[in-house]
Amino acid sequence: MIVARNLSKSYGSVEAVSELSFSVDAGRIVGLLGPNGAGKTTTISMLTTLTTIDRGSASIGGYDVAARADQVRQLIGLAGQSAAVDEKLTARENLHLFGRLYKIPRAERVRRVDELVDRFDMAEFADRVVSTYSGGQRRRLDVVAALIADPPALFLDEPTTGLDPRSRAELWEAIAQLAASGTAIVLTTQYLEEADRLADEILIIDRGAVIASGSPDSLKRGLDRDVLEVHVGDGDLAFALDLIGRVTGVVTDPETHRIGIPVGDDVNEGLDVLRRLQDGGVAISDFQLRRPTLDDVFLNLTGSPAASEEVSP
Amino acid sequence: MTMIAKTARGTRTVLEDPTLPVRARRAVQDTNTVLWRDTIRTLRQPDMLAFAVVMGVFFLVLFNYVFGGSIGAGAGIDYLAFLVPGVLVITALQGAQQTSMGLAADLTEGVTDRFRSLPMSQVAVIAGRTLADAARNVAGLLLVAIVSIVMGYRFASLPGALGAIAVATAIGFGFSWLGAAIAAKVRQPDMVGMLSMFWLFPLMLASTAFAPAETMPGWLQPFVIYQPISAASDAVRALANGTAGGADLLLSLGWTILLVAVFAPISIRLYRKGTP
Repeated sequence: MIVARNLSKSYGSVEAVSELSFSVDAGRIVGLLGPNGAGKTTTISMLTTLTTIDRGSASIGGYDVAARADQVRQLIGLAGQSAAVDEKLTARENLHLFGRLYKIPRAERVRRVDELVDRFDMAEFADRVVSTYSGGQRRRLDVVAALIADPPALFLDEPTTGLDPRSRAELWEAIAQLAASGTAIVLTTQYLEEADRLADEILIIDRGAVIASGSPDSLKRGLDRDVLEVHVGDGDLAFALDLIGRVTGVVTDPETHRIGIPVGDDVNEGLDVLRRLQDGGVAISDFQLRRPTLDDVFLNLTGSPAASEEVSP
Repeated sequence: MTMIAKTARGTRTVLEDPTLPVRARRAVQDTNTVLWRDTIRTLRQPDMLAFAVVMGVFFLVLFNYVFGGSIGAGAGIDYLAFLVPGVLVITALQGAQQTSMGLAADLTEGVTDRFRSLPMSQVAVIAGRTLADAARNVAGLLLVAIVSIVMGYRFASLPGALGAIAVATAIGFGFSWLGAAIAAKVRQPDMVGMLSMFWLFPLMLASTAFAPAETMPGWLQPFVIYQPISAASDAVRALANGTAGGADLLLSLGWTILLVAVFAPISIRLYRKGTP
């Protein structure tokens, strides 16, 4: 349904997106995962005809995005960062506005708007002007607006950024349902958990280029080392790191005094680390051996945690 | 011509290569939709309308009571009868300036990106806006006309009054497209507001909107007489006061058509270019 081949885009000398290739079949979700400024929104903009493609090509439903923009626009829905709704209109008016522009006949449109308002639990605020909405209500309308024409190809640009956990879970549910009913979905996110939870395939993007791709499981398996997580006492953190020495991929969280150390399958490797810490007099309040998360994958690949880097696009 | 695209959710009709009549019908349909949206916005936020009316009344009062004596006596005319038509034209031009600022604000909002991702006529976003602003102008012009009647002005006839408002609205519509072109090019509301001053003030002051051309220096007179705001002011004056002014009317309509013909394609092309 959605195909991108060597998609590239530069702004001046900065390569925002470089040689990005992927395809999304009907009913599948591909997640573009990366920090701010990684090129996720630029990719979405190119695929949805908002920005020209410098090099490479893309097609939606067999229609070339550059040459057949008008046909492509009949097949896509766009929500999130790169698209929004009219602030001065109510949710219902917004949905009717976009429905009219998609040329949905009136009777069908009325039915569809009611159905969406109902299904996404928006009745309570659907007749209020958007500028009075909470962040969560706005986001929800944003996504619902992309669904008005029931598009076979859906682009969600950071759909849950800024949502509270409950709204996020609800939206995840809805997105999974859309895929189950046959929609091809491209989803960008800074949240590893989100990509892990929703995507069939993940592309990890850093500075415009794919640095790893695969299913969430295969990405985690690629990092075939378990993680030993040690919880040390306040003030012991720097000392503990000193004792651990030069092991690549060590993660520290100064706030919770946790240290994550990649260790091999061999139990002795982990025991050795613990012994060194104990001999050095570090107070260990807790430790566990766990499977790597996507956070660990990202960190291992880029050397910096996801979503911490602030680079303007 | 349509094609059926197979999707996992059943078939979907994709409009393949729309013929010119189909495209034209779509442009009208979408313009109508955007007009509906902009009208809701205007009604919900009447400050733009209020601003245009207050400016019009401000000009009426200021020029009539402050400068009216000197200009009127100097030219030997009934100054209020001279001033009201000019103020109607200037009020319509405020509307054009608002097109510029409103569209620029619109273009910086995300909703424009959504418009650009929709299978809609891209002409409609700007055409809907200029038409909505023209409709708002009619309301503003009616209010200013009522204030002028309260101040003692009398239109020669009802058809003359309606014709005057129509001509003022038309020239405002023409300038709306200039405003739209500036907005589509610059896209920063505050910058657009400043740029509007550059065309609005010289055209407004070096015109026959507030003072007869004879009171101005000779070298400036050819410009003053033929420029669009003067042409519109003279045409509105002829209709409102019931005097002869066929040539002015033709010149004013000519300017209106020229403004639309030049700036409509430019503004639509600039809007389409969108983000680089």
